[in-house]
Parts: sequence; C-alpha cells; structure tokens
Amino acid sequence: MTALARTWDQLTLPGKALLILIPLLAVLTTGLLVTILLFGQQILDILIDNLPIVRFVFAASVLLLLAPLIAFVIIYMEMKIIALMNLRIGPDRVGPWGSLLSTVHGLKVLMKEDFTPTRADPVVFTWAPVVVFSTMALSALVIPFAPGLFAQDFHLGVLYFFAIGGMTVVGLLMGGWASFNKYSLLGGIRSAAQIISYEIPLTLSVVGLVMLAGTMSLNTIVLQQSGSGWFTDWYAFRQPLGFLIFAIAATAEANRTPFDLTEADSEIVAGFATEYSGMRFGFFFFAEYIGVFIVSALTVVLFLGGWTAPFPFPHISWEVNPGTLGIGLLLLVMIVPVLGTLLFALPFYLFRSQTRWWVALILGFVLFNVVVGGLFGLWAYINFDWVAGLFWFLAKTFGLVFLFVWMRGTLPRVRIDQLMGFAWKWLLPAALLNLFVTALAIMVIDQP
Amino acid sequence: MATVTPPRTGDAPPRTFPKGTHPSEDDPNVLLEDDYAFYEPIPPYPPRTEREAEFYTLGDGEMFLNMGPQHPSTHGVLRVVLKLDGERVVDIDPVLGYLHRGVEKLVENADYHQTISQVDPLEYISSLFCEWAPVEAYERLLDVEVPRRAEYIRVLSGELNRIASHSLFLGWFALDLGGLTPILWSFIERDEIVEMLAALTGQRMLFNYFRIGGVNGDLNHEFMSRLGDWMSRAVVQIEAGEGLLNENEIFTRRASGLGVVDQATALRLCMTGANLRATGIPFDLRRAHPYSIYPELDFDIPTRTEGDSLARYLLRMEEIKQSLRIIDQCLEKMPDGPIMAKLPRLIRPRPGRAWAAVEGPRGIYGAYAISDGTDQPFRLKIHDPSFIHLQAVGALLPGNLLADTMAIMASLDPVMGGVDK
Amino acid sequence: MDRALARRLEARFGTALHGPARQRHDQTEIRIGAGDVQDTLRALHDEPDLAFTILADLAGVDTGTEMQVVYHLWSATTTDWLRVIAEGLSRDDPRVPSVTFLWPGAEWMERETYDMFGITFEGNRDLRRIYMPPDYTSFPLRKDFYLPDDAARSPGAGVRHVERTHSPVDAAPGVLRQTKA
Repeated sequence: MTALARTWDQLTLPGKALLILIPLLAVLTTGLLVTILLFGQQILDILIDNLPIVRFVFAASVLLLLAPLIAFVIIYMEMKIIALMNLRIGPDRVGPWGSLLSTVHGLKVLMKEDFTPTRADPVVFTWAPVVVFSTMALSALVIPFAPGLFAQDFHLGVLYFFAIGGMTVVGLLMGGWASFNKYSLLGGIRSAAQIISYEIPLTLSVVGLVMLAGTMSLNTIVLQQSGSGWFTDWYAFRQPLGFLIFAIAATAEANRTPFDLTEADSEIVAGFATEYSGMRFGFFFFAEYIGVFIVSALTVVLFLGGWTAPFPFPHISWEVNPGTLGIGLLLLVMIVPVLGTLLFALPFYLFRSQTRWWVALILGFVLFNVVVGGLFGLWAYINFDWVAGLFWFLAKTFGLVFLFVWMRGTLPRVRIDQLMGFAWKWLLPAALLNLFVTALAIMVIDQP
Repeated sequence: MATVTPPRTGDAPPRTFPKGTHPSEDDPNVLLEDDYAFYEPIPPYPPRTEREAEFYTLGDGEMFLNMGPQHPSTHGVLRVVLKLDGERVVDIDPVLGYLHRGVEKLVENADYHQTISQVDPLEYISSLFCEWAPVEAYERLLDVEVPRRAEYIRVLSGELNRIASHSLFLGWFALDLGGLTPILWSFIERDEIVEMLAALTGQRMLFNYFRIGGVNGDLNHEFMSRLGDWMSRAVVQIEAGEGLLNENEIFTRRASGLGVVDQATALRLCMTGANLRATGIPFDLRRAHPYSIYPELDFDIPTRTEGDSLARYLLRMEEIKQSLRIIDQCLEKMPDGPIMAKLPRLIRPRPGRAWAAVEGPRGIYGAYAISDGTDQPFRLKIHDPSFIHLQAVGALLPGNLLADTMAIMASLDPVMGGVDK
Repeated sequence: MDRALARRLEARFGTALHGPARQRHDQTEIRIGAGDVQDTLRALHDEPDLAFTILADLAGVDTGTEMQVVYHLWSATTTDWLRVIAEGLSRDDPRVPSVTFLWPGAEWMERETYDMFGITFEGNRDLRRIYMPPDYTSFPLRKDFYLPDDAARSPGAGVRHVERTHSPVDAAPGVLRQTKA
C-alpha cells in the first residue's frame, strides 16, 4: 500500500491526471460500445420516435459549445479594435496578431482562486453567474442562423426571447445583493433599473414589426424578408424608427457603452461583479459578450434580413461528383496535395533567402490548405443554402458587433438619471408613436 | 453634538473595540446591526471635532461608501468617505496623507540646491512649476537677478509643461466620464512633450532643471528639432482630441451644469487657476502679478462665466492654445547670454523671508522661504493649489449623483502628490 | 515695492502692528498679535480700498523661540503681495483665531498647520489631523521634533532597527535651530 502511495507522490500533476483519466475513459468507452452493441437498435428506435427532441438537444448542445467560442472571438475583437482606435497595438504576443488571447484569458480565469467573501450569501452568490449566463444562452435558442439552422421555431419566438432575456435582471440583482459590498449593490440596482426601463421601448419597437409580419416566429420573419432577394425587403426600411429605437434599447439591454454604468469601472470598481473572481467572473464576462452577440443577432434577424443576402445571387450550381473519376480519384488525392504544397512553397524558397527549405514547405502546405479550404467553402456556399445563409448571418451580426465595439471605444457613458430620463421620456413615446403610425398604416393600406 | 476641543498632543484612541463596546452601539442612527459596524468606514474612536461628528452621524436612509485609497479613478491615493442617500451624495469626507512624504521637513535638512530635487515630486505632472516657485523665492532671498536667456528658457519649458499637464487633464476627465480613447491620445501628446523635455533636462518627469539663478543646461539641438517637429503638428493633435469630445452630446450633457461654482464661492474657497477663471474672474498671476518675462509676451487670459465642468474643460483647452502662442514668441525673442547667474557654490543667504508664486497649470503655486543665515533653509512652505481644490470638492459635491463624484474631482484637476506634499 | 501701501497700512492699523511695515522686492510685511488676527484680516478683506480678497497661503512657522502664523494676501489695489505675520504664539500652547469665517477654504490649511505644529485655531469646526494618522502623537514640523523619539512611539515601537538605535533616555537631543525671522 505504501509503495502505491509513494508512486503516487512521485507523479507530477499531469501524470496524476492521466493516471486517473485513462482508465476512466477506457471503462466508459467499453461501456458505451457494449451498450450500443447490445441495445443499439432499441436506442435508435426511441430516438427516431422522438426526433424533434433529439434535434433540439443536439442544437442546444451545439449552441452551448459554440457560445464560448463566439465569446472568445468577440473578446479578442473588442480588445484589438479598441486598441487600434486608441492608436496602440493591443494583444500582440499570444498567437498571430494576438488572436489566441481569449483562450489564454479563459485558462487564466479557470486557474484563479475562487472564493466567496466572508459575509456573502453563499447560495445566492454562487447561483448569480449561473442565472445570468444561462438566461443569455437560453435566449439564443430561437434565433435562426440559416435556413433550417435553428434550435426551435417557437411561434412565440419574439415573446420568448424578451421574456428570457429579462430574467438576466434577476441574476444581476442576485450578484449585486449577495456580494455584501456596497459597490456591488449599487451596480446591481443600477443594472436592474436600466434593464427594466429599456425593456419597454425594446418590446414596443418590435410590436410594430410583429403587426406587419403577422407572426412572432423569428424564422417566419426572416423568410418574409427574403422575398425579392434585395436588401430593401428588410424590415429596417419598413420600420426605420422601430429599428433605431430597437438598436438603442438593445445597447442598453446588453449593458454596453454608452449605457455601461453597471460596470462603470471609473466609479464603482466593477459594479455587481466586484467580488467575483475566477470562473464565476468568467461566467459574467462570457455572459456579457454572448449578450452582445445575441442582441446583434436579434437585430439582424428582425430588422436586417437574418440570413438573407443583400442582393440576389444568380442560381448556379456547381455539381462535383468525384465518383465518376474512378481510379483517377485516388491518383488525384495522392498527387494534388504534394504538387500544391510544392507550388506554393516555391516562391518563398526562391525569392526570400532566409526561409529554410522545410519552413517553405510548411508555409506552402498551409497556403495550399487555405486555398483548398476556400474553394471548398465556395462550393459549399453555392450548393448548400444553409452555408450561404450562415455566412451572411454571421457577417451581418459581426458587423453589428463591430459597431458595438466601436461605440465602446468612442463614447463616454451617460449618468443613471440621464439614462432613465432618456428611456422614459424619449424612447417610450417614440416607440408608441411608431406603433400607432404602423397600425394606422396597416388599417389604411389594407382597406379593401 | 458638543464641540470637542482638540487636545494638546495628538489624539490616541484605542485601536480596536471589543465586541459590544463601540460607542455608536447606543446610537440608533449610526448603524444597522452591531456586527456590520466592522465593515463601515467609521473611525473606531469618538468624533474629535464638530464636523466629524456631524459627518459620521447617519440620517434616514443614508449609507457610507468608502472610495478607498485603491480605486480605479481617484487621482492618486486618496480616500473619500461618501455619505450617500441611494445614488445621491449627501456629504463627503476626504482622508489625505497616503502620499505624505514630509517634503517640508526634509528640505530643512538639505542644502538650498538639494531642495529642488526634493520639491519636484510634489505636483509631479507639472514638476517645473514646483521647482520654479521655491527657486524664485530663494532668488529673492539672495537678491539675485536671473539672466534673460534663462528666464526665456524657464518660460518656454514651463509652458511646454503646462501643455503636457492640460492634455493629461483632458485624458483623465474623459476617462472618468467613461471615454476610453482620449486618455490614450493625451498620453501620445504628453509622450512627445516629455521626450522633448528629456532632451532638454535629462529627465522625462521629475526634471530637476531649474537652478537658483538660472537653469541647468542650455537649449540643445535635439530639443530644438523635436520642438520644431512637434509645433508643426501640435494644433492638429489637440484638435483631434477635442473633436472627439466637444461635439459629443453625451459628454456635454454630462459635463455642463456639473459642479457649478460662482465667483463669490470660488474666492471664499481660495480657488485659483483655471477653476477660478471658469467662474468669470480673470485672475492669472502672469498678468495680475507679472513675474519673469511675462510682461514682454503677448497672450490672452481665457475666461468663461458658467463655472461648470464643461467651462473648466474648454478653458484649459484654450489655455493650451495660448501656451502655444507663448512658446512661439519665446522662440522668436530668445536672447543670447548666460543661463546662470554668478553665484557662490555654497548658498548662504542673509536671514530673511521671501514669498514667490507662479501660475501653475492648476493655480497659484507658492513658496514661502525663511532663511536663518545658514546654508540650509530654515522653513520652506509650499502652497499647493490641488490641496485647496480638493477641499472645494467637498463644497461642490453634495446633491450630485455618485457618478458625478469622479467627474467633478477630475474637472478640478487635483494631483495627489501636491495635495499630500 | 509699493511705498503707498506701507503708509496706508500703517495709517489704518497703527497700534495693532508690531513695528513698521517692512518691504522688500514685491512683498510688504506687517506683524500683528494673535488676538488681532480676525479684526485685521476682516478689515483687509472687506474694506474697498484694501480689498485683499485672495488668500494665497496660510503657513505656520516655528522660529525656535515662538510660533507664528503667516498669511499671504493679494489685492487688485496694489502691486505687492501682503504678508501678515501673527507672531508671539507661545510654543507650549499656541492658539490663534481662525479665519474660516472669511475664507472657508482656509479650513484645510489650518488643519495642516495644526497637524504639523500643534497650533490650535479657535473657531475652526474641523481641527483634526490631515496628513498624519489620527492617533499620531507628535507635531512633525516643530523644531523640537526628535525623530527617534517619535519612532519609538510609533506602532512599530522599537521593533525595527532604526527605531532602536537611540533610546530616549541616553540620546542627546538636537540643538534647537532658531531664527529671528
């Protein structure tokens, strides 16, 4: 027994981890294989019977897995773009142009000490980041990323989105209250006041659009904007005031500058997140950036055409049927990568005297992969409508995210009383005006 | 509360209170529950003065918030205890001394020459003015006349330092209002100026350049070339920074009407400098009590009447432009000659007293020097404008929101090195 | 040097001044006793032909034999700075009336003088220490301030090497520097 203990002590930390993980994985894998072999057919039957649920679970898992990735991209974007606006360099070291910075931030956040302050309420303190993050992630379920690519097509999609998004307030208040810190309390209460005030113009500005569209399902709204293929079909041109109000209220909902008083770090240190460190703060951090993405995504879906392209593409098809080549396919796969690598490596080797031959080969290989990947992407874009839709959706969403980041780099922040005044005295009447004018227009124009 | 007469020596209260013995336990207004007293920023001893008692008594619905020495935006190590009613500030109590270095005592044990490097870090952003006032006081003690070229160089470097200080003010002010970009642009501006001054004085920040009777080194080629380069694009850079903020609706709505001071209040609070000129009183020592070669230079004193933070900000931006005018004239009119007056190695003035004041970027920067005939100053008292303006914050803040605390403090432009001496 | 100012001041204040008004370079200096501070400064502030509305500095001085409080004032009616020295304060219990009724901004300057010298300003509502911690027991800028004694009384009392070098009993206190200033 002591020999075992001594061996254990001599292991390094990764060694210990591996020693535990590998047998565990082996056991799990064999268990899985056995289950599939024995009960595979029954499992498959059950899954096929409940296909919608399976589809939903799959889509939700993909969303949850992709959420950190998107957050990483947005965090890096923000740091780099604001740095460039500030005439400095920004993240530079951790990857080409610092692009792996977010990964490093994620690892750092995982490795920090995770403590609860002495007089904080432990249950509420622990659950606050969970609530904030999960409400943000849940609200992404109804967004259509591409034709056919949505987790669930509620016919009350818009309502669901605002309902779940409003629950973020609960999480922020929990965090602010449970921290036993006056800065956090001020931050939490400010955020509650802000989000609640801006919910009303947000929802009202969409009601006009819902009246025009006749449905609350987000997928249907996007489909309605894809009529002629031109961007003038987008609801932004049919509801310009609604679009403007929505954009402003969405900035406030996402706690972004100029409405970022809840985390105004020149006044109240970090607002509701002052006492959080480690992964709990990571959750808040992620939730904010996912919120930015989701709010941009919603704006794009509702007003900017979702996954529709701004101009209609001619219908071409690019059929590639590799089966017709026969044995030629094997030869192709063996020869083309080698030739491509050599072709792309040659200019580097010839015209840049300091590259060694193996560095040139690596560069050639990378470039070849990039070119082939690009061609493959083009083929997928032309042949699969969901690829095209996803591309346009992401392009538009990240364009709006860029706009959010731009605003953060440029604008100072408003004060809480100016913020509330603006919401209640300006945005709310404007939204109501929009609503009445739309209703009037519908009544007048649809008169038989 | 009865007036507490301060005792003869410093107060010496006990450092900790055993549970149940804190004096505010009986007072229903001060605390919620006895356990939480530990976390409130209330001093653990009975109030020493009337004002302390008045401040540390909570009214209905009020709470204390401690903006401690570590905070992202107090301008240095400053502790401010705020009494808040929700988001509205009712009263403040700044606690100083975190950066107190005892310069006035150190100076009494040093030579007259050594005092120059001792007083540099007082208002470290505008070090040359910190040196200028004591040096002028010593020159009056010694009845020394400074050569004209040295005076021109002093004015030239001083005005450059003023521009650097004001552009940093712009950055801080915007940062405290939430804008992330102007401060970095201000640092670019300031970087060029301090590199210039490093070429002239040898140091980027605590210059140690002025000497009793003149300056330390003459203008050199690198300084003049950097200065020429910078002057050709200075206005454009400043206007880029201004352009980001002046027309910005959010910025102007935040800053206008904030921390309004009227003329009588400003005079009674002993405010000087841009803060006083923003209320309408055109008091600038360079014109009101001319020193050095300012009578020969042609520049205006910008004045505004509103007295709010926006006025102070716009005023300092105009002062930058006036400083550029002064620099132009200095360069044109620079005479030849020595840069140091003939003085003995060991400075030993006659017993006497002298006061000198210069117009620093923040206000009147004064030095009162007493000599007892030896080679060490007997007393050097520095009057620092940031000290006074921080006191004025306490008069301006009540009634405003928490977010304005930092904005008002930033608009009055205090530097904690000067406040704490 | 504004000779007319010296004559005006001597004519106005006469017996309250301890000697003639002295002038050098661009400064005029008058000396008064501690009890006359409030009347003199109120007159200097309020009277329209004197109009010394700007208080530039309030300093404390320990001359070795006595304590002084020095006020520097500026007026638009003259080209000189005016220095008002309230002298004759005893070194044991220096007391001066406060000028916060004229200039509330002098409150912190008086706090600083109290902190550094121990001069009590009667009428200042907030006379507590400003730079030093509230339980500090010495007045640093006084000429009889002896640093090892003060260090021995500090919270680290005698623990650190520098605080143990001299013990108060067998240390020779520094010669008190004095000046006629």
